[in-house]
Amino acid sequence: MSAVIDRSWRDPALLGKALPAVLLQTTCFLAPLLMTIALTFQRTRDFQLSWTWSLHTWTDVFTKAHYWTILGHTLFMATLCVALCLLIAFPVAYALASRLRAFQNHVKVLITFAFLTDATLKTFGWVLFLDKNGAANYLARGLGFEGDAVNILFTDWATMLGMVYNLLAFAIFTIYLSIDEIDRSLVLAAYDAGASKFRAFWEVTLPLARPGIWAGAVLIFLLAVGVFLEPKVLGGGKSPMSAELIRQTFETRVNWPLGAALTMVLMTVAVFVVLLFNRVYSLKRHLGPA
Amino acid sequence: MNWNRNGMTGQVAPILDIRDIRKSFGAYQALKGVSLSVAPGEFLALVGPSGCGKTTLLKHVAGFEEPDSGAIAIDGQDMLGVPAAARPTSMVFQKLALFPHMSVADNIGFPLKLRKVDAGTIAKRVMAMIELMQLKPEYLTRFPRQLSGGEQQRVALARSMISEPKLLLLDEPLSALDVKLKKVLQAELKRLHRSVGVTFVHVTHDLEEAMMLADRICVMRAGEILQVGQPNDIYYRPADAFVAGFIGDTNLLPVEIRSVDAAGAAVAAPGIFGEARISAALMAPGLLAGPAQLMVRPELLAPLESDGRADFELDARVSEIFSKGGTVQYRAQLTDGSPLIFELAGSSTQPAGIGETIRLGFANRDIYLFQGGNAG
Repeated sequence: MSAVIDRSWRDPALLGKALPAVLLQTTCFLAPLLMTIALTFQRTRDFQLSWTWSLHTWTDVFTKAHYWTILGHTLFMATLCVALCLLIAFPVAYALASRLRAFQNHVKVLITFAFLTDATLKTFGWVLFLDKNGAANYLARGLGFEGDAVNILFTDWATMLGMVYNLLAFAIFTIYLSIDEIDRSLVLAAYDAGASKFRAFWEVTLPLARPGIWAGAVLIFLLAVGVFLEPKVLGGGKSPMSAELIRQTFETRVNWPLGAALTMVLMTVAVFVVLLFNRVYSLKRHLGPA
Repeated sequence: MNWNRNGMTGQVAPILDIRDIRKSFGAYQALKGVSLSVAPGEFLALVGPSGCGKTTLLKHVAGFEEPDSGAIAIDGQDMLGVPAAARPTSMVFQKLALFPHMSVADNIGFPLKLRKVDAGTIAKRVMAMIELMQLKPEYLTRFPRQLSGGEQQRVALARSMISEPKLLLLDEPLSALDVKLKKVLQAELKRLHRSVGVTFVHVTHDLEEAMMLADRICVMRAGEILQVGQPNDIYYRPADAFVAGFIGDTNLLPVEIRSVDAAGAAVAAPGIFGEARISAALMAPGLLAGPAQLMVRPELLAPLESDGRADFELDARVSEIFSKGGTVQYRAQLTDGSPLIFELAGSSTQPAGIGETIRLGFANRDIYLFQGGNAG
């Protein structure tokens, strides 16, 4: 196997065929990334970028706790969002692949529609819903609660609600796909071998749904680390997350090197977390269940 | 009880007793009152065209389906309402259903693990199954996808046998294999059945397989049992034209029963052969005078020498010749235009070429007569 790969590097015909892909990757991905890295080593003067090489930005990044607090908060929110999405999405996906099979196409269309509706629109919709004089409190009063029973707008709770709401579909679809692929006779075989419904689920369905769960988790984590709409609109900008900090640094503070440096930090951490995920996952798969 | 149709080969209490079960899926009647008894240690094959209800019947025995009415008892115990997990049955699935995320050892040991058997005992019994199935011990740590089709088959069999079920249910497990491997595993199944003495109920659409393996064959069509009997009975004494046609190639000659008495009947086939007598043993029960069908298997026809005589004689014009290697099959037309298939042992010279007419004969003992109608 490895012999083939080694030789392929020296095969000019093969390299030629790979050229378009290599070019595309270089111009669209590698070059901007390298430019961003280069940008972090520049200085600004009077809100103008001056091309002087310096480590000033990086000393700033590594000495100010503020940036790291925001990063920590972002990672915490993203992790919580992943956990909540998986907890909600799994039963939904499971029902879709089993009990609601007859309606699964309708449900899938509905989820897709909700999913494709512009996230900004939906997020502002939540503001109207959660507002002190909004629909949520109207309903709460109707149910006999006193005063403003729903008072979470402009808190981290509202941010989390928006994040889970906007990202949930990713987990539903990835998990649904992996559950749907499970051969029904495997579950029957588990029953036949003497397994209870719970045991069959635990020993067969859940382990086989694992690829979808991991895929959904990685997708949602990467997207959740990058959210700026929800903390701004639903969280009221009171506890910004990394993406919002980066936006402010570029737009409001017009400090491009710092913005670029914060971007690199966020990217590195996100990539590191995903690699860690991957390692644990492939390790588990390699060893198999105990 | 009629020995041929429902009965078992002895007087022992049946291990499986199915009484008049019915099952509908919506408006579709999958099982229309099926009764069947299986003796302990028997190898029973359930055969029929797809959609005949054979797999549905098997699922009722396994506990994956509950009948609308009727009763199922295994070893004298009523099974209605008993979940699959609690039934003393084990199924080998069509697609094998090996757990892809478990090693071979975990797959085979799974039923014991669920029964809370300790790890040491499980390992010992898995090893014993591996030996019984003639698998290599180094396969234990592999995953199902790393094994060949035949090896996966053996692992699936090992998993279903390790819990020592009273009934082993096989749902066409050999249907996806190539012919050569199929032959090997058929022999293997037969050997297993003989060595472990478990009762096998084997669903298949492959009649040759059923004839090879089973002690008794149960032929189903459209949710009903048409005939239960030993392979030879099914082959030479089919219950009706459908069973005759389903099981191998056959000839159904339209004949006329002229008269019936206790000893037999006088039949004639206008335009094919003249009047002949058939003894009662070669007739389906309850036949009356009138149109009937005379069945003769292709391999029982033989060419007649110019001065030779046979109980029945007919002329056939050969239209096609298929060489099967050991045997050669001839498709021909009789003098009245009806088709005839006959099969002769292969030889370097052919008794007749395409377009030639050959005189054939068959003996009185090699036929079976049953009710007329279309040869469906």
